[in-house]
Amino acid sequence: MSNNKTSSNGSAKDLIENIQSNFEKQGYICNTHIATAIFLSQSLGKPILVEGPPGVGKTELAKATAEWMKKPLIRLQCYEGLDEAKALYEWKYGKQLLYTQVLKDKLNQIVSKSDSLESSINNLNNFDDIFFSEKFLEPRPLLKAIESENGSVLLIDEIDKSDDEFEAFLLEILSEYQVSIPEIGTIKGNVKPIVFLTSNNTREIGDALKRRCLHLYIPFPDPFLEEKIISSRVPEIDKNLKIQLVNFVQGLRNLDLKKLPSVSETIDWARSLVLLNVKNLEPNLVRETLNILLKFQTDIDVSDPEIDNLIEQSKK
Amino acid sequence: MVDFLRDFIHILRSSDLRVSTSESIDAMNVVSEVGLDDKSLLKDSLSFSLAKTLREKEIFNKCFDNFFEENYMNLKGEKLSKENHEEDIEFDELNNIENTEKNLEELYKSSDKTSLMTVMALAARDANLQDIKLFTQVGMFTRKIFDEMGLEKLNNDIFQAAREGDGKREGELKNIRENLRLEIRDYVENQVKLRTTNAGKQLREDALSQMRLTQADKSDYQIMSGIIKKMARRLISVHSRRKRKSQRGVLDIRSTIRANQEYDGILFETVWKKTKVDRPKIVALCDVSGSVANVSRFFLMFLHSLTEILPNVRTFAFSNKAGEVTDLFENKDIEVAAAETLLLNGGGSTDYGQAFVDLEGFLENNIDRKTTVIILGDARSNYGDPRCDVLKTIQEKSKRILFLNPEPKSVWGTGDSEMLRFVPYCSKSKVCSSLFDLERVVDDMLRSSI
Repeated sequence: MSNNKTSSNGSAKDLIENIQSNFEKQGYICNTHIATAIFLSQSLGKPILVEGPPGVGKTELAKATAEWMKKPLIRLQCYEGLDEAKALYEWKYGKQLLYTQVLKDKLNQIVSKSDSLESSINNLNNFDDIFFSEKFLEPRPLLKAIESENGSVLLIDEIDKSDDEFEAFLLEILSEYQVSIPEIGTIKGNVKPIVFLTSNNTREIGDALKRRCLHLYIPFPDPFLEEKIISSRVPEIDKNLKIQLVNFVQGLRNLDLKKLPSVSETIDWARSLVLLNVKNLEPNLVRETLNILLKFQTDIDVSDPEIDNLIEQSKK
Repeated sequence: MVDFLRDFIHILRSSDLRVSTSESIDAMNVVSEVGLDDKSLLKDSLSFSLAKTLREKEIFNKCFDNFFEENYMNLKGEKLSKENHEEDIEFDELNNIENTEKNLEELYKSSDKTSLMTVMALAARDANLQDIKLFTQVGMFTRKIFDEMGLEKLNNDIFQAAREGDGKREGELKNIRENLRLEIRDYVENQVKLRTTNAGKQLREDALSQMRLTQADKSDYQIMSGIIKKMARRLISVHSRRKRKSQRGVLDIRSTIRANQEYDGILFETVWKKTKVDRPKIVALCDVSGSVANVSRFFLMFLHSLTEILPNVRTFAFSNKAGEVTDLFENKDIEVAAAETLLLNGGGSTDYGQAFVDLEGFLENNIDRKTTVIILGDARSNYGDPRCDVLKTIQEKSKRILFLNPEPKSVWGTGDSEMLRFVPYCSKSKVCSSLFDLERVVDDMLRSSI
């Protein structure tokens, strides 16, 4: 047994490295921590709740996973007031009405055949079942994910924006991977989808939901990782500039700002610097382009006196 | 493996991190998936299933490091011995037990630290070390574990050596006994450190939240502001939920018709108007002179920890004159602000009359039917004019006045206390002397403001 253990452990490590290198090929650079989370969610069949500041690649992670596994990505964006009809399924009312209109003659025939009221109701009852069948069911993201033949990657984005009720309603789906539709019954998929939930922590997620998920926190990347991300996303950037730029942004994150610059903003900034054909960070240039990194006027004001200092440090 | 995980989860729980049963099952699955060999991989993996907020991750990391510094050797030892067991478990186990009974001496001499640790851990389990609560129990548990490991045999050997007059052997054995005892004691002390740091804190926190704030000692301030933050978090989670419930208004006919156009105008879906909930406006006036200063300090901290559900709070502090302190709390660290408030506005003899006049001056037209005025103080005005007429105008303009008094009701109105003259103008007057009282008062206030 011990031998098995070590070998499975070895393969666990290999698998994690495999995930990491596959992500890298698609341009999603991550550390072992993140890759381990993906590996575990896959092998345990559990959803992952991803938390972290905005713009660190929470949504990207789900996209990269879908790409890597060659499975369709089904995305559900949460917002206040999101309900079952928009997230799970909906009856095609229009189609139902249309069909009853078109089939009016047919219905009349059937009803006229029966002589008593009771038998005509019985006859009509049969149609009830026809109109509430899967033909008239409009699947929304959650049902689509469960029904998909070869599995899928389901991304429930910004779960913290939805209401408490919606969170409670997710519980059945996340733990059993099944959906109950009163008119039809329980629908259960063949393959468990891989589920990502992301949250920006605008409110505390309920304990019941947390208990059913693995929890992954993605912080801002360290300088080494951020450099790797930049060189993968903006390959044409000058090596010297890349180091300066990353150091500068890292320094900026240490200031007391309302919204810290995220990875996606660093990438945007790197791209625009490349477009401007910059080789070295200069105070004036930084001041002019700072609005790409910082989105609040107060933040720009706060960082302004520090810019010369930060540039100096980033060149070391 | 199960044992180690059980122990670890026990320690997490005692460090104020909630782990549910289903989470521990997950953790078990995780461990069987990744194995025990790679410590950093194990740490990463366990943190996904056991720690689910940033705060919890911090606790988890600390506990993991402590626990494994201590137990990793031990764990490996357990694994090794398990591998040995494989061929004939029963036989091996029997053998093992006999071995420990007989050869405590040999075990020590063989300088095989791993197996010694294993034996010690097994004995510790039999002695129920996981139930240890207080550091005063260290001696008792050391003795219990030593007994389990076969102290009796060692003592007999020493006794026999003494009877035979073999002084050298006697000395040697005594030496072994002493060293073993020290080692076990170290082990137990470590376990106490792991398991009881939080239990003691819990006890202290409970006591502090019940204690009269006027008796609070400076050294406890740090813990108390921690308690306040906890209480505030609790209130926020309770009250933000209820508000959402009560936000639904009447049927919005226009939107309902629009929404149902696609169903041929048959009203399948209903759309509701949202009612706007008036955020309560709160004005707090706190006495910060000597005797009441402590209560005011914590009350102010409490109010300003609730900005999420109480965005409109203005706070004033007074002793002989009132001054606004809202900005202090909004711009500075809450503890620094509390200290500065006392410095700026404390001192001087209390004058309630002047404070009311000042408050009215500050507020002028900023007071309306949505405003709740909270006054906190002992109502001892040093025989000055209490200016009940000003209090009356404030009452007429505002929604209500709450008066919180840290003194027990029996002494209201004695000596220079004007409390009984204030009571008629207040919609509620309450005794409020401990953190526990404070929480209840704020909770009440939030309940009735919605």
